[in-house]
Amino acid sequence: MNSRPKSPVTRASPRGVPKVLQRIRWPEEDNKIPREIFTDPDLFRAEMDAVFTGPVWVLVGHESEIPQPGDFKTLSIGAIPVIVIRGANGRVGVLVNACAHRGTRLVEGPSGNVLRGGFRCIYHMWTYDTEGRLIAVSLPDDFPAEFRKEDYGLPRARVETYKGAIFATFNDEVPPLLDYLAELTGGLDRVLGDGALRYLGSIKVIFRTNWKLYVENIYDGYHVTALHTGFQVVRLRSHGGERLVPNYERNGHLWGRSKSTPVNELTPALRDMSLFDTRTKPTTDHNMMVVFPSGVVTDYFDTIQLRYVVPLEPARTQIEFAFFGRTTDTEEALWHRVRQGPEVLGPAGAITLEDAAALERVQLSATARGENVVLKGTAKRFPPYRHVDEAPIRHFYHAYRRLLGFPLNGGTGGARGTR
Amino acid sequence: MALAGRVDLGERRQAALDLLTQYIRIVDDPRRIEEWPALFSDDAEYIVITRENHERNLPIAVIRDDSKDRIADRLTIIREFWGAGGRAADRHYNDAWPRHVVGPVWVEFNESGDALVGANFVVYQSVQVDVAPRLLAVGEYQDVVEFSGATAKFKSKKVILDTSVLQDVFVYPL
Repeated sequence: MNSRPKSPVTRASPRGVPKVLQRIRWPEEDNKIPREIFTDPDLFRAEMDAVFTGPVWVLVGHESEIPQPGDFKTLSIGAIPVIVIRGANGRVGVLVNACAHRGTRLVEGPSGNVLRGGFRCIYHMWTYDTEGRLIAVSLPDDFPAEFRKEDYGLPRARVETYKGAIFATFNDEVPPLLDYLAELTGGLDRVLGDGALRYLGSIKVIFRTNWKLYVENIYDGYHVTALHTGFQVVRLRSHGGERLVPNYERNGHLWGRSKSTPVNELTPALRDMSLFDTRTKPTTDHNMMVVFPSGVVTDYFDTIQLRYVVPLEPARTQIEFAFFGRTTDTEEALWHRVRQGPEVLGPAGAITLEDAAALERVQLSATARGENVVLKGTAKRFPPYRHVDEAPIRHFYHAYRRLLGFPLNGGTGGARGTR
Repeated sequence: MALAGRVDLGERRQAALDLLTQYIRIVDDPRRIEEWPALFSDDAEYIVITRENHERNLPIAVIRDDSKDRIADRLTIIREFWGAGGRAADRHYNDAWPRHVVGPVWVEFNESGDALVGANFVVYQSVQVDVAPRLLAVGEYQDVVEFSGATAKFKSKKVILDTSVLQDVFVYPL
């Protein structure tokens, strides 16, 4: 029985805004966003604590990516490198990817299996098992008398899963995952089904933009017809859609849902129109969701996709696009998903290029001072919004401002600044 | 020298090398993208995949154009969806001039007389807004070239990316 490992970070629940951030002035209107929040390096560091180790659940993977005991994948939660691993006991854990001794990264690569031998640090050969317990050190003579291996396990995040989607948090104050998700579970159920998914592979790409710009683009329905003109070439439309913000008073989740034009009604501008075909569902209903702050879950056409967002720098963000089928799929259905997914919703696919281009340009001009303004759909204060609205972006920033301690009604939050 | 009924591997080797050179010249000139599909045979495939997925046998590829139709559709996407080749104001991406550096190249033959062509490659993108060119990708080509008489075409072009993370998005084929 190992003692509870030390948390690697101090819990971030700021009372008031740190002095260094008091220069950021938020307008009174909540549909205005100061551009400097996309470029300020001090703010970026503060976000890695206040948001990503704040009272949130961060989407880090799906159980089907690590099916066997010892399987692991790596990514970062904010700035903290972690290992998402299926332990020898079959349970999923999230371990900090840093040796408890002198901080060496334990695994370099994106994935692997360590059932035999566990994690062995290359520097001084400290060895951990799949639960992160320290099981061996080299040359332990002349260690302090009070040294006990039990005190040097790898810090573990709290982990909960929903329909196989793996969420992690470093925060003790966040409510249980089901409470946090609230009505978003309705949309997650539609995409994840009973959770019995089959992992098909991932593609990762760097976007030259701030992580918040990447995420707010998903809340934005306004840009879809303007930017993704490919849809117009085939006359693909969304209809009967809406954008919800489940639990909006406490969170900034997004649930966008809609129907697409069936493929046989589209203009056949491509020779292979299976790109836009829905065969594995009875209707063309689709869902695009963000589990605040950064977990994307979507099911356009026959593509089931999760995305994991890793902020690297104020102007660089890594997005992992993970693709899935269902364990009940025929070989044909699976192969259809493999051919469709990256082509419609992958980084080299039809629409991602356009988002990347627009977001890079927003980032490039973010040093121009001033504010970005959210307009379409903002006459309404509360969801549901129309599918073409950008108003849901406000709710993302409400939740964000709460976490950072920024005032919700304008100003700098610096009147009684602490620290 | 081609002997009746016999295949001259020396000629085929040169034809395969020429095809690869032609490929590079076309993908490095955005104005020539129309010529790209004709480099492929009628039952060709063009696949871009990370080494990680390739070696783990994970089917998700960055690009999986597994038919001549998909290869032709790529051209439609580049032109019609993204607005390449049209007015700058109509383009929905940030203009970049690609540049491949390829080599060495090695050629073997299979029992059917197809050329198995391998090469190291690096692709840069020169973007107007940056001072220095951007490194987009590095990896290995694993290609199969088939011959119809003297004409060489790609039956399979596989682009294996060394990194699991794409450094950027891109318009033109790698």
